Amino acid sequence: MSTSESPQSHIDVGDGAAIPTKSDVGLFTAWRIAFVGSIACCIFLAVYKPDPYLAIFKFVPDGILVTFKVTVGAILLAIVLGLFTGLGRISTNRLVNGIASLYVEVIRGIPLLVQIFYIYYALGRFVRIPDLFSAIIAMAVCYGAYMGEVFRAGIQSIPKGQMEAALSLGMSRRQAMRHVILPQSIKVVLPPIGNEFIALLKDSSLVSILAVSDLLRRCREFASESFTYFETYTVIALIYLVITLFFSKLIGIMEERLNAGK
Amino acid sequence: MRENSRPMIEARNVSKHFGSFRALHDVSFSVAANEKVVIIGPSGSGKSTLLRSINRLETIDSGSIIVDGVNIADPKVDICNVREEVGMVFQSFNLFPHKTVLENLTLAQLVVRKRSRAEAADRAMELLKKVGIAEKASAYPGKLSGGQQQRVAIARSLAMNPKMMLFDEPTSALDPEMIGEVLDVMKDLAREGMTMAVVTHEMGFAREVADKVIFMDQGAIVEVGTPEHFFTNPSHERARQFLSQIL
Ligand SMILES: Nc1ncnc2c1ncn2[C@@H]1O[C@H](COP(=O)(O)OP(=O)(O)OP(=O)(O)O)[C@@H](O)[C@H]1O
Ligand SMILES: [Mg+2]
Repeated sequence: MSTSESPQSHIDVGDGAAIPTKSDVGLFTAWRIAFVGSIACCIFLAVYKPDPYLAIFKFVPDGILVTFKVTVGAILLAIVLGLFTGLGRISTNRLVNGIASLYVEVIRGIPLLVQIFYIYYALGRFVRIPDLFSAIIAMAVCYGAYMGEVFRAGIQSIPKGQMEAALSLGMSRRQAMRHVILPQSIKVVLPPIGNEFIALLKDSSLVSILAVSDLLRRCREFASESFTYFETYTVIALIYLVITLFFSKLIGIMEERLNAGK
Repeated sequence: MRENSRPMIEARNVSKHFGSFRALHDVSFSVAANEKVVIIGPSGSGKSTLLRSINRLETIDSGSIIVDGVNIADPKVDICNVREEVGMVFQSFNLFPHKTVLENLTLAQLVVRKRSRAEAADRAMELLKKVGIAEKASAYPGKLSGGQQQRVAIARSLAMNPKMMLFDEPTSALDPEMIGEVLDVMKDLAREGMTMAVVTHEMGFAREVADKVIFMDQGAIVEVGTPEHFFTNPSHERARQFLSQIL
């Protein structure tokens, strides 16, 4: 045990890492420049050119709220769908496996925008539900397929000896999954789920094509009334940038915590 | 009386293929209650496959394996009920890294044996004391040495009160200085009368503990005998060659 404390372990030989790690780059990381820069831009525009920027910014909060509702609703639903899809993809039951695989293949082969239209109008034919819900369902169905692959990979990354040890103790496959495999997979799937969350946040702008007043649609409505297209899209881009940068940092920190916990 | 009349494990004419590769060929053997059987043989001879088919971690193509009176090759048998009674120790320990040592020992007691928490914890602590690592009960497996991990793995199997124990090269992944502590635990277990089937390259252990040595080569059992007979005067050329390499 005490050998790791020996002075030798601190001697650094060589010219440093061939590929610099994040921490080597210092204060001016791309993330900081982008994050601080885009917030500074927003403030600058609002202060020095209140017309039309201040008016545009007033439209933002409502839109962001809807964007978050779509994103959070869709990601939660997609996680549930993805978990079952992932379990289905590794199931030995041919039927279950077949359905899960078909779902993944079909969804991955159709552009998201087409799916959103399709699910929106398909749902609309049979049930009357608020547009916001169909938008959430459409996004979730799509992302559920990608999430299914995340879960499948996460489950398969657990060494097969774990399942064997659990089975040899008399556990059923279901018990082994629940108590041994899935708890270990969480750590593996959390970072990719974070990435899916950010991708979904950005893709949620596609639902503005439906009658859902998310950030993009709210601001677009304003633009078409006031003919300030350039200014409006500048604001939209900055707002999306700030939000996604914020979350990617959050996820990065979370990931580091997880790795440190190992 | 009844104990002696029925073997704990009885394999008859077991064959197994991986694709077109023949891993087991017409293997028959038996392990009586309280008997200690050591299985040896060169790498790839099918020792692990044979051991793993006893609790159906591998399915067999033909033949039968009767474990404590139950034919596990019968697809109608609920294999979980058999596995409860058959402890298994792996070369790579396979402890659950997200659970503490204590939780490793209690998990299956709780979900399979349906024991109460207190009962399971008592049984776990008793076994941790027995294998000499009670002080590590609340540690995570990643913080233990290989020898300690393997002792925990043995205790985890024993916590289920199995009727027999299977060991697949339990010391092969260990640094030499830790092999002894694991073998000592196994010797204690043997002394207490546990029925054991052990795949190992530790010939000292085989000599000391085994009632019967099974030598395998190319998926078949080539020779069965007492350690006396096997180590001093094996009848088959392959066994002689193997011994000259390993001793
Ligand atoms: N899942 C598998 N798929 C294909 N071939 C396999 C599989 N498992 C084992 N084998 C092959 O079957 C043969 C017997 O393997 P087994 O692991 O039983 O040997 P072993 O005697 O335990 O060897 P070792 O001493 O190296 O552990 C080997 O040639 C191995 O390559
Ligand atoms: Mg082996």
